[in-house]
Amino acid sequence: MTDAQGKGAVLPVSKDPGDAILEFLRLAVAKELADAVILPMKVPSGDSFAWILMNDVSLFEGAVPIAAAMPVQGAKALRSLTRKGPGNLTVIAVMRPCEIRAAIELEKLGQVHTDNLILATYDCPGAIPLQKYVDDPGGSEEHFSLMRRSGKPDNTAKPVCHYCENFSMFDSDLHFGYFGFSEKEVLVIPGSDKGSELLKGLDLDLAKDLSDWKKGIDSLKAEREEARKSAFEETGEQLRGFSGMQSVFASCIGCHNCQSACPICYCRLCYFDSETAQQDPDALITAAAKRGGVSLPEDRIMFHVGRMTHMSLSCVSCGQCTDACPVSIPVAGVFSYVADRTQRTFEYEAGRNDGDPLPLRQFRKSELPGIHELVKNAESEEPSHE
Amino acid sequence: MKEFEMQESGQDRKLRAKVGVYICECGPNIAGKVDLDRIITDISELDDYQDVELVVKKYGFLCSAPGKEYLEEEINSNGFTHLVIGACSPRDHDSTFMGVCKKTDLNPYLYRIINIREHCSWVIDDKEKATVKAESYIRGGIARVLRQSELFEKPLDINPDVLIIGGGVAGMEAALSLSSDDRRVFLVEKTDRLGGVSIDLSGILPGQGEVIGKKIESVLGNGNIRVFLNTRVENVIGFLGNFEIELLSEENTEITEIMSGAIVVAAGGTLFDPRESDRYSYSGSDEVYTSLSIEKMFAGDDGAVLRSGKQPSSVALIHCVGREEKNYCSGICCSYMMKLACFFKKQSADIQVTEFYRDICLPKKNDQERFSEAQAAGVALIRIKDISLKGTNVSFERISGDKDKQSFDMVVLAPALEPSADTEYFADLLTVPLDEFGFFQEVHKMTNPVGTATDGVFIVGAAHGPKGVSDSMQFARASAGQILTRLIPGEKLIPEVAVTEISEAYCTGCGNCLEVCVYGAIYSDDSRGISVVNEAVCRGCGNCFGSCPSGALRTKHFTNTQLYREVDEALR
Amino acid sequence: MSQTGNILVIGAGIAGMKASLMLAGASSKVYLVEKLPIIGGKVIKNEESFPNLECSTCMVAPIQQDVLQNPNIETLTYSVVEKIEGSAGDFSVVIRKRARYISLTDCIGCGMCYEPCPVSLKNEWEENLIDRKAIYVPCSGSLPNVPVIDSEHCLRIGGGEDCSLCAEACAFEAINLDDSDEIIEVNVGAVILATGSATFDLSSIPDLGYGTLPGVYAPMEFERLFASNGPTLGEITLRDSEKIPESVAIIHCVGRREQKYCSAVCCMYSFKFARFLKHKIPSVRVFNIYSDICVPGKSYQSFYRSVEGADTEMLYTSSIGDVSVSESGSGLKVSYPDAAVSPQSLNVDMVILAAALVADPDVAQLAEVAGVDLDPQGFIKTVLDGSGSMETSREGVFVAGTAEGPKDIQNSVVQAESAAGQVAEIMTSQASSS
Repeated sequence: MTDAQGKGAVLPVSKDPGDAILEFLRLAVAKELADAVILPMKVPSGDSFAWILMNDVSLFEGAVPIAAAMPVQGAKALRSLTRKGPGNLTVIAVMRPCEIRAAIELEKLGQVHTDNLILATYDCPGAIPLQKYVDDPGGSEEHFSLMRRSGKPDNTAKPVCHYCENFSMFDSDLHFGYFGFSEKEVLVIPGSDKGSELLKGLDLDLAKDLSDWKKGIDSLKAEREEARKSAFEETGEQLRGFSGMQSVFASCIGCHNCQSACPICYCRLCYFDSETAQQDPDALITAAAKRGGVSLPEDRIMFHVGRMTHMSLSCVSCGQCTDACPVSIPVAGVFSYVADRTQRTFEYEAGRNDGDPLPLRQFRKSELPGIHELVKNAESEEPSHE
Repeated sequence: MKEFEMQESGQDRKLRAKVGVYICECGPNIAGKVDLDRIITDISELDDYQDVELVVKKYGFLCSAPGKEYLEEEINSNGFTHLVIGACSPRDHDSTFMGVCKKTDLNPYLYRIINIREHCSWVIDDKEKATVKAESYIRGGIARVLRQSELFEKPLDINPDVLIIGGGVAGMEAALSLSSDDRRVFLVEKTDRLGGVSIDLSGILPGQGEVIGKKIESVLGNGNIRVFLNTRVENVIGFLGNFEIELLSEENTEITEIMSGAIVVAAGGTLFDPRESDRYSYSGSDEVYTSLSIEKMFAGDDGAVLRSGKQPSSVALIHCVGREEKNYCSGICCSYMMKLACFFKKQSADIQVTEFYRDICLPKKNDQERFSEAQAAGVALIRIKDISLKGTNVSFERISGDKDKQSFDMVVLAPALEPSADTEYFADLLTVPLDEFGFFQEVHKMTNPVGTATDGVFIVGAAHGPKGVSDSMQFARASAGQILTRLIPGEKLIPEVAVTEISEAYCTGCGNCLEVCVYGAIYSDDSRGISVVNEAVCRGCGNCFGSCPSGALRTKHFTNTQLYREVDEALR
Repeated sequence: MSQTGNILVIGAGIAGMKASLMLAGASSKVYLVEKLPIIGGKVIKNEESFPNLECSTCMVAPIQQDVLQNPNIETLTYSVVEKIEGSAGDFSVVIRKRARYISLTDCIGCGMCYEPCPVSLKNEWEENLIDRKAIYVPCSGSLPNVPVIDSEHCLRIGGGEDCSLCAEACAFEAINLDDSDEIIEVNVGAVILATGSATFDLSSIPDLGYGTLPGVYAPMEFERLFASNGPTLGEITLRDSEKIPESVAIIHCVGRREQKYCSAVCCMYSFKFARFLKHKIPSVRVFNIYSDICVPGKSYQSFYRSVEGADTEMLYTSSIGDVSVSESGSGLKVSYPDAAVSPQSLNVDMVILAAALVADPDVAQLAEVAGVDLDPQGFIKTVLDGSGSMETSREGVFVAGTAEGPKDIQNSVVQAESAAGQVAEIMTSQASSS
């Protein structure tokens, strides 16, 4: 979805879009329009990236704004930076749309303060799963390069990226658009007053018409939507009934990696690790007698259901959870499917910065009859539990 | 040897739990439908608990005076560490048995009442089934009570003074009822005078002349009432007994800080603008007036005349302006319109006065006179199904279905009474919810109409809902009644004990709990990045608890552990 | 400065109970005197109360229990006040605690005493729709749950016969057939009269057929029919025939012309009845015959609109005072004038009369004892000094609730809180001056 209005500015490209962005950032810092930036940098071993907060312009060269992999979801980095408050210094963060969207959700949850952040996104062709990148950084970079040029995720990209519709401009302060320009031009589009002011400060005119670029984005989006439909159909089938859930999550080892990697999950202590979630031995044995057997540690599937309940309304389908799972459960596929449905039910879009409060924090009497209908419909769709 | 000595000395009473389980027969209510003797035997023989001694008995009516004495005796002589009562609904007798515990050494929060009447004997005819359910409930109760903790009351000092927002009829009446040498009243009015909407009304109360004027004099002359004119309420924090308020004076933009124990919201109402409805279209130059403007004219020297100064030869009085649009009846208009009709007739017998109404609503026992007077004065009363206005041309549909048109020299409209423009501001400031019409929401329409969800904040007069002067004064006095009997100078208040607390270690300050708290009991501590519960305001409702994903909240006396173990045990 | 001193509240309905609880909470000692053997007043006779059709018992039972358990409230049921002498701040009150014949502390409410009693008569509390014995509780769920012996009809106490079947059946020795009235003298600082009201005498309008045509019901009779603890356990069946009505007409404003005031609650309870009927008997046709709908306040019109059309048909009459009911075959015919056409009529199985609220018949006696003036309609007058005061013509004596005039529960509670506030003021100034 492109939200850009009308016009954008153009950045000259010498090497590649990432480079143009670096130059932009150098100027912004040099002109004191920002005090620091946060960007991915390749780690010394060359097989991963790390978020680096820096203000020394001479170090920018080593940074890779459009990184092939996403080891740590950017919103987590922003949380580390601004959890205690907005601070007094301005920082520009250049991240994938899903990372900025997650940051906006975290702001609603009091975990990120964006007052002094300038949030910038770029056209994202998808990301290579971390394990793949670590195993073959060179090959991954080649694939990613192709993806960047075509604007489409290929078969090496994370599964969720294939059907991500929010890969371009969203509710960020600035957006760098480059799909469809054969890496010769990068558009800079302001999305807010903060963004407009920064462009003004850099003497960048909003001269370029965006309609061609938008057309390209829209057609890419249509493809992603198709992929989304079929992916969700398949997921829906897999998850049918409680036994569906059980089979998808059967190999879960309860490591909670998905929770740790998720940018949204902000709890210090997961409810399922708390004292009250612990069962008495007698209660477990009684349950085993009643049901024929109880799998231990208990509540491994409930953990996922609980996590969905707590965060699916804010889920941005970044796919970190699948990346982090040591037993290759398609967590992101399941959570994206559920998030899609819950967000539609509450007419809420995760990552939007329009003042719409989180649905679970408010109660509208008018919703009550609707929920009754929902439950009735859901009951008629699904077969009864075994 | 040592262990033996400890037991002898009675120390073991504190190391071992001794649970008293007393089942009330409630006459035939429980005893007739549940086999209590079997339950007593089964529970006494339970060996699930290490280091727990169970004493199980039954009694006729535990809530009766001898019953309570018996219970007190039993607690004292047995030295129970915990108590379970199998009886009726907590709504009926939880506080009764807490009262008994308070007379003993047993902390009242180490007791629990289990409902085996409304939940078992009253709803199950089969005695066997009722007995099985009652027994499982009691077993659950024992499991629960063993996980309960001692909780203690924390009496709070209170400020008996009262802040009254709004200096109209209701505000003034509340001020006069409340003020005394022991209790100051701060009456805050945003305009430059007291009296509100009613200052221009005449003949509003039986046999009254200058009622409002006299009232204003009493208020201004009362040394215990401090009046702030041209002043607004800027900020309010606190809770019943301890509010801190910032007032902003419009004149010198000075902030005054005051403290009070209660707040009475008498912010009044306003009139619906008839032009908001498609039915009524007229311009400022048409001889179309609202009832309030006409009242003002009658209060003046010239009476209700046309702009030219001439007497109108025909006047239409249209009732129910806004009734269909707002979907409520304001209840006062029929009465005052008939009064105005008679005023017109007194002004000049030649004026043709016609009242158009949908229903005659005269709910007060003395109002019927108004109707008879209007009829006797020759006022035409036309019942309509629907009506519309263009300038002073009235088009109406009679009850028979016939449509008709009539032009008048002057038209008077009786608009619905709406919440005042400040209502939303105060709702936000005082965390008082609004109802579907935008009036303040009372705690309970029937049994507590002046109270709000924020204890200590009362709503009176038109702020509560459409009503006239005498009802407004009554509501004002009712709020005074609540304050006079609850906030007593020199006495302390005991806030709810079973409140919710937030763990500093687990809270990350996401604010979910704060958003869902209807009592405004949670605030954000930015320095620690967490949310905190104000225990003096918290009612222990548990809304916040449900909203926290990480279980950082703990509602005392209703912890997850207590509830889960009770259910686990009952279902076993 | 805390309040001390005693207060007398006469009438343990919603207004009396609320006032008592407020004053007891402020540490005053309250003598709550109630002429019936049970507390709760009229509200407990309704299954549900408007506007939100909340279960009345659920609403009131906790209040009743609070009253009975409150250490500062001494509830004297089955008692009447015979004298109130003195003046504000210092009243001498004489209360006659009528002989109940059953001990409030020993009786466990087992009900074994009812069956053996040979006397059977109509239960007035149940609007004479069911019988009771001479030893009885008015209804199931009575509080206090202790019976009383109707001394007038008891064979022994009223008739001098040698019957003691009830006492013999009592395993707890709770019955004392030699009980006698007790005279209690107390001193109080203020009095609140909350004695409620009564229903208009429907037999005074013969054209409506009440009392002669069995299908015509008074409003309280219908409340008891619908009540789940009532004579028919909530089943709506016509008296005599036990048929379920297929059509019902509810006639508004009965008694309005005669009393010369609108009772303000009848339209709402008429709609409540329509809702009850439609939900209980989905195929029933309900007609509300009216000339003016009086639903003042923010909460009422929306209920009216939700009932209109969905649960009932509204039939307008140009003269509600000229409606008549007559026999028609096995049913009833309701005739009502309509301004547009010639008189209309309607055939129905059942008629419910929405009757005016009038002053309680005992109020004249009470007014004399309390030394207070009544208004022309027979209700207890307030000073009308333009301040909303609930004080009567006698200083220190206050009134609240329908004893002052027809009104709904909300306004009864508001008046009770109002009066309690005024009493609290007196007690405080008393305490500070002593």
